[in-house]
Amino acid sequence: MEFLVASTIGVITAAGIYLVLRARTFPVVLGLTLLTYAINLFLFITGRLAVGQPPVLQDGVTAYTDPLPQALVLTAIVISFGMTAVIVVMALRAYIESENDHVDLIDGDNDRGDSRT
Amino acid sequence: MNHWIILPILLPAMVAPLIALTVRHDIVLCRVFSVASTVLLLVLGGVLMGTTAVEPVQTYNLGNWLAPFGIVLVLDRLSALLLLLTAVLGLAVVLYAINGWDRAGRHFHPLFQLQLMGINGAFLTGDLFNLFVFFEVLLIASYGLMVHAGGPARMRAGVQYVAINLVGSSVFLVAVGLIYSVTGTLNMAHLAVEVGRVSAADRALLETGGLLLLLVFAVKAALVPLHFWLPGTYANAPAPVAALFAIMTKVGAYAIIRVFTLIFGAGAAASAGLAGPWLLPLALVTLVGGMAGVLASRRLGQMVGFAVIGSMGTLLVSVALFTPQAISAALYYLVHSTLAAGALFLIVDLVRERRPDLGDRLTTAPQFAQCGFISALFLLGSMAMTGLPPLSGFVGKLLVLDGARESAHAAWIWGGILGASLLAIIGFARAGTTLFWKSASVEGTLQPMGQPAPALPFVSVGTLLGGMVLLTVFAGPIMLYLDSVAQQLFTPQQYIDTVMTPNTVQPAGAH
Amino acid sequence: MSLALIVLLPFLGAVLPALMIHSGRAACALSAAWVTALAFGLLLTHVPTVMSGQVVQVGWEWLPALGLHVNFFLDGLGLLFAGLILGIGLLIIIYARYYLAEKDPMGNFYTYLLLFQGAMVGIVLSDNVLLLLIFWELTSLTSFLLIGYWRHLPEGRQGARMALVVTGSGGLALIAGMLILGHIVGSYDLTVILQHGEEIRESPLYVPALLLILVGCFTKSAQFPFHFWLPHAMAAPTPVSAYLHSATMVKAGVFLMARLWPVLSGPEIWFYLVATTGLVTMVVGAWIALFKDDLKGLLAFSTVSHLGMMTMLLGLATPMAAVAAVFHIINHATFKAALFLSAGIIDHETGTRDLKKLGGLLMLMPITATLVMIAAASMAGIPFLNGFLSKEMMLEEISHTAWAGQGWILPALATVGALFSVAYSFRYIVHGFFGPQRDDYPKHPHDPPAGLWLPPALLVVLVVLIGLFPETFAGDLVRRTTSAVIQGPVPEFHLALWHGLTPALFMSIVAVGGGLLALWRYPMVRNWWQAGPHPEAKAMFDAVIAGAVRLCQTTVLALHNGSLQRYLAFMIGAAVVLGFSGFLGASHAPGQRELLPAVPVAGVLWVILLAACGLIVAFQRQRLFAVVLVGVIGLIVSIAFVYFSAPDLAMTQISVEVVTTILILLALYFLPGETPRESSALRRGRDAVLAGLAGIGIGGLAWAVMTRDFSSLSSYYIENSHHLGGGDNVVNVILVDFRGFDTFGEIIVLGIAGLAIYALLKGMMEGEIHEKLGSWPLEMRKSADRHPMLMVIMARVMLPLVLIVGVYIFLRGHNSPGGGFIAGLVVAIGLVMQYMASGFAWAAQRMTIQYHALIGGGVLIAATTGIGAMIMGYPFLTSTYDYFNLPVVGKFELASALGFDVGVFLTVVGGVMLALAYLSDLGRWASRSPINEQPMDALPTRDEPSRRDD
Repeated sequence: MEFLVASTIGVITAAGIYLVLRARTFPVVLGLTLLTYAINLFLFITGRLAVGQPPVLQDGVTAYTDPLPQALVLTAIVISFGMTAVIVVMALRAYIESENDHVDLIDGDNDRGDSRT
Repeated sequence: MNHWIILPILLPAMVAPLIALTVRHDIVLCRVFSVASTVLLLVLGGVLMGTTAVEPVQTYNLGNWLAPFGIVLVLDRLSALLLLLTAVLGLAVVLYAINGWDRAGRHFHPLFQLQLMGINGAFLTGDLFNLFVFFEVLLIASYGLMVHAGGPARMRAGVQYVAINLVGSSVFLVAVGLIYSVTGTLNMAHLAVEVGRVSAADRALLETGGLLLLLVFAVKAALVPLHFWLPGTYANAPAPVAALFAIMTKVGAYAIIRVFTLIFGAGAAASAGLAGPWLLPLALVTLVGGMAGVLASRRLGQMVGFAVIGSMGTLLVSVALFTPQAISAALYYLVHSTLAAGALFLIVDLVRERRPDLGDRLTTAPQFAQCGFISALFLLGSMAMTGLPPLSGFVGKLLVLDGARESAHAAWIWGGILGASLLAIIGFARAGTTLFWKSASVEGTLQPMGQPAPALPFVSVGTLLGGMVLLTVFAGPIMLYLDSVAQQLFTPQQYIDTVMTPNTVQPAGAH
Repeated sequence: MSLALIVLLPFLGAVLPALMIHSGRAACALSAAWVTALAFGLLLTHVPTVMSGQVVQVGWEWLPALGLHVNFFLDGLGLLFAGLILGIGLLIIIYARYYLAEKDPMGNFYTYLLLFQGAMVGIVLSDNVLLLLIFWELTSLTSFLLIGYWRHLPEGRQGARMALVVTGSGGLALIAGMLILGHIVGSYDLTVILQHGEEIRESPLYVPALLLILVGCFTKSAQFPFHFWLPHAMAAPTPVSAYLHSATMVKAGVFLMARLWPVLSGPEIWFYLVATTGLVTMVVGAWIALFKDDLKGLLAFSTVSHLGMMTMLLGLATPMAAVAAVFHIINHATFKAALFLSAGIIDHETGTRDLKKLGGLLMLMPITATLVMIAAASMAGIPFLNGFLSKEMMLEEISHTAWAGQGWILPALATVGALFSVAYSFRYIVHGFFGPQRDDYPKHPHDPPAGLWLPPALLVVLVVLIGLFPETFAGDLVRRTTSAVIQGPVPEFHLALWHGLTPALFMSIVAVGGGLLALWRYPMVRNWWQAGPHPEAKAMFDAVIAGAVRLCQTTVLALHNGSLQRYLAFMIGAAVVLGFSGFLGASHAPGQRELLPAVPVAGVLWVILLAACGLIVAFQRQRLFAVVLVGVIGLIVSIAFVYFSAPDLAMTQISVEVVTTILILLALYFLPGETPRESSALRRGRDAVLAGLAGIGIGGLAWAVMTRDFSSLSSYYIENSHHLGGGDNVVNVILVDFRGFDTFGEIIVLGIAGLAIYALLKGMMEGEIHEKLGSWPLEMRKSADRHPMLMVIMARVMLPLVLIVGVYIFLRGHNSPGGGFIAGLVVAIGLVMQYMASGFAWAAQRMTIQYHALIGGGVLIAATTGIGAMIMGYPFLTSTYDYFNLPVVGKFELASALGFDVGVFLTVVGGVMLALAYLSDLGRWASRSPINEQPMDALPTRDEPSRRDD
């Protein structure tokens, strides 16, 4: 089982990074989403794998999986959600303002960067 | 339980929603709230720094939970120093911004306050994952500020900035995960103890985590080759935001200093001194590359951006030596370069808004309004940035050189720093003569766009320059304090003990 | 105390001219003169003490940590230089008042001049090498301002930059050198360093220190091959040239060599470096000076030559040579300043400085002519003038010094140098004043007002007096100064005109004869020169700088080409390198933890997931398809969470994914549906390799982690969650209590996201962007029925259910999977469904809640619950709880942490709604579809067409 999970993490990361390295904002955003999936999974497994031991206290049950990483991942998921939302909207506006969704700064971008509005 | 410690985080965290909630339609009230809160932060910074003189390390157990189980805020001399510095810069920036920039887009002041909150939190927290959270807070706030007022170029630069930092955050999580997976804890003081006990079998995982942390912090600190986000971001960010970002790079430097003196310090057994060998060469490249960029730049903003990279190089070279003397020198340079960069970015904006359609392009053009006065400010800023006397840049440079004297690589470090300052001097001299002197040979004068700026912007620039003057004049006492900071960093036992000894309000909470 | 004041006065006084200029040029000049006079007076008060052989010292601590003290000391050497700087400075100030034109900003001029003066005095009085460095760099900076004073002149700007770069770089070398000295001695105080000559000369660091310091001195004193900047600095106004390039700045290098003479001189390397450089500079400078037609150019190169002579004398490292050097410093300052000032007069009165355009001025400007002739004769070393005396002493010393065992080399070259100097001095006189008067002077020449000729006249008087009665007027000063230079007993000497028939005398005669001959046959000599090569230093310098700039641009700027793909590739590459070397660089052993058996379902899901990843890489350009695939992957991840005992994570993952997908789809509504294929196969290959390595790396790490046991804090949370945290869902208790502060930060992040998104979108609802959107080409086909009745009804019926579910999830969160965040998302989804079903406007009209209020309120509530504890005297976020009973929900406990969770809930709803609602509104605007007052397009009871709003 561990191998399946480890390879899953690896593959999702690889796919995510490949997308992140594309030239348009949209695949980059998708790549970042994939990357967060993989990273959350990774953070999660630092509590090691356990089946049927949810960290919800019940009388008579003694075996529980490590709850801390789960809490961390929850926080991480929420934060990365906020981040994704922002970059999506930012990418959208960048596209609409410059009618081009390429991720690289085009020549002269620096020439227009200093206006107040 | 000293509640003062949490105020630098809580105050802006409360003011921001208040502004967004109640007064967001009334710019004047927004400004009142924002400035007032920043002034209070300044006072707080002073008070807290004062208390560290009496009680060097103070903790604040959030939720009244014992360390390492709950999150602990730790106030020591280093964090106090940086809180104060942040407040000073913040005040100058907000004073500059309320001159009109804040009306150029929406929610400037809430975002600004939350930015300060994130930075203060990063300086105060004693928990590795909580550090991640505050990194995210200050980052997402900076995203909002970066694209404040919009504009195609700014938007595209913003997307780059966000994308790079999101990848950085992912690496941060991997690093935290790795370290947790072999130590089972997140509290920094506890880590300082546990890291020493990690078995040989687990060292590889631990050190991978450590180096990945270094990478994350290096991205913030704009270390080559992780600095690429900086020039584009700073050149396109609104001027006050760029000025505020002067402290953001220092957050990276702070994190490096903190983590690699406390967690991977002498107590880390086999993993001690993990960062140095990587940091020193890269910092030298950063230093020279940055100043070479200064010489190459075609725009003033771009030039200052590269100068910031160069100054981070100088700073990190000194950090990389990880000796008390070098660290205190690095801290002096840190304070100096923050003020210098902040001042220069504001000065760039003063030039920009007086040269319609030309902006800060380094081309000859007719003189613009207040050319003489602004050129004087620019001269002072350049002297500081290039390390010419009498401003703090020169003292800082001497301190860094002197701190590297005993190093085995002294020759490289000296050569790098002195060579780089020559590049910087040439670059700034070219820019200055082109902008301010050559213009005297051109007929006519440019009309500034909008109404000519009132005194306020000059006040805020003056604040920063004045800060550097004080930094120079009182270099003696300041270095005494910084030496004590460095001492504290290299004798972490006190920090560890204070955090690990129960400091909760008895009876243990209402539980 | 008054010693420090001498240094301080010019700096303090520097503000005066800038202010006084408003009350007239005279007042402005007076203020500057007054300051300088005061400083000069203060200096004079110390003369008796110093002449009696004592050293005046004063000092304060500045930066003890570094050894940087504000220490000043005044001995003979300091006195001489300070005297020259302030004395001549005073004359210059008076002179400049009459020299500068009406349009020149005089306030700036005097301000810069005083700053420079202060820096110079600082150099010569510093008793701490670091302090000296500060003043040293300051002279570079202020001279930059002075040389570039006439900003409109390109020569001025270029000359200024060149001077700054050359002397500045020298200064940087000097910093290193001084730090090494301090390192050897263990103190940066000059007086201490002067005590440790032996130690320094024997240190292995002596040579590097010497080289670095000499670079500093040679650049400053324009020694070959750094001499080229000085002539270009002549673009400055003549008073500046007279001040900087005769009396002061260029002498700073000589001063420093003299100052450090006792510690650095002695070893052969000193002799060969310093004496040789000096001699070469002397000859080369004199030779070039002979062919300069510009008066100031001629004087500039003659200055170079004379500085070379002083350097050489110091290089000889004998006490008598030191005496000669000191004496010549005095003499040169007097006659050279006089010559510069009179050159200025000629320029001022005739409108040109070109010897070719001059001549025959003798009768037109008798006073000037007299002054020039005396001073120039002194420069040539003609008897009865002070220049003669020091030149004699120089030749005397040279005549018995061997170079590499050859006794004749130095005397021969020195004589040649002297010969040229005679030649150009007399050329100045002859070509300037003799010959026929001409009628083509740019201006009609006549003698200037007294204000212009008095200052040089004063100096000329000195030239003569010292020349006639050297012992009386200079003897003691020379002795005192020399003793300060050599820090020991001064050899017996007597300054006099006649020393008998010494070899020096014959050398002088040869020099004078030869010089006059050369002038007589000047055209011929000039032809020889014309034939020879003329390396143009400025061209080379400019080429070097331009080359450096180009190099930096082709490397640095080319590297920062704004390509995110490149930047990220570097970053990920760095992560891979650091990760792998971190892992391989340390000890590692495979873990012992027993593995879980793989279940078939897992295998199936695994295959699907791999397939999905493969597909997404292959077909990422079909954007909609890619989004679907991402959804699939996310789904499988959340299934994994369920399977591996993380119900909370699964719920969160799912709900986040729904919202994210909606968001991305809304964005995709505007974006092109396909990504163009543009990255080359090579680029794709590179990316694949990077991605592969990263994947292998993190997968390997994950494997290594999962296969080993460890102990963590978690046991504490499991044990205490119930009775301390008052909850059974440990994860939730950690989130809202143990690590509530993380969650606090987390909702702040969400809040900021909401605000930022609002700022971004609101900005798109106005101005040209809004117009642009109004006519945005949308690729997606619109469905005929925008708000299908069935969906509307469903959504409406669902809403209350969704809300109840939300509340339920929220309340049970503390004890079983759920909590504020998930509840928030569920509710948000429910609300979004209304928007999707019935359109923005309709829903918006009924959505009376302000999303801003939700966000702000959420954060405030969360914070307030935390602060509540503070009021009770507990730390922020300290929680308490009790149990209650409710129908349906059953027995549940209310922890004050719940209030915190309410904050989370509100912020989430607010943040998500803010983003989605405004985005969908944009979409409606862009799709130019009507605002619908009615929930559905085809309402049976209604048939009038819905109104368009645009």
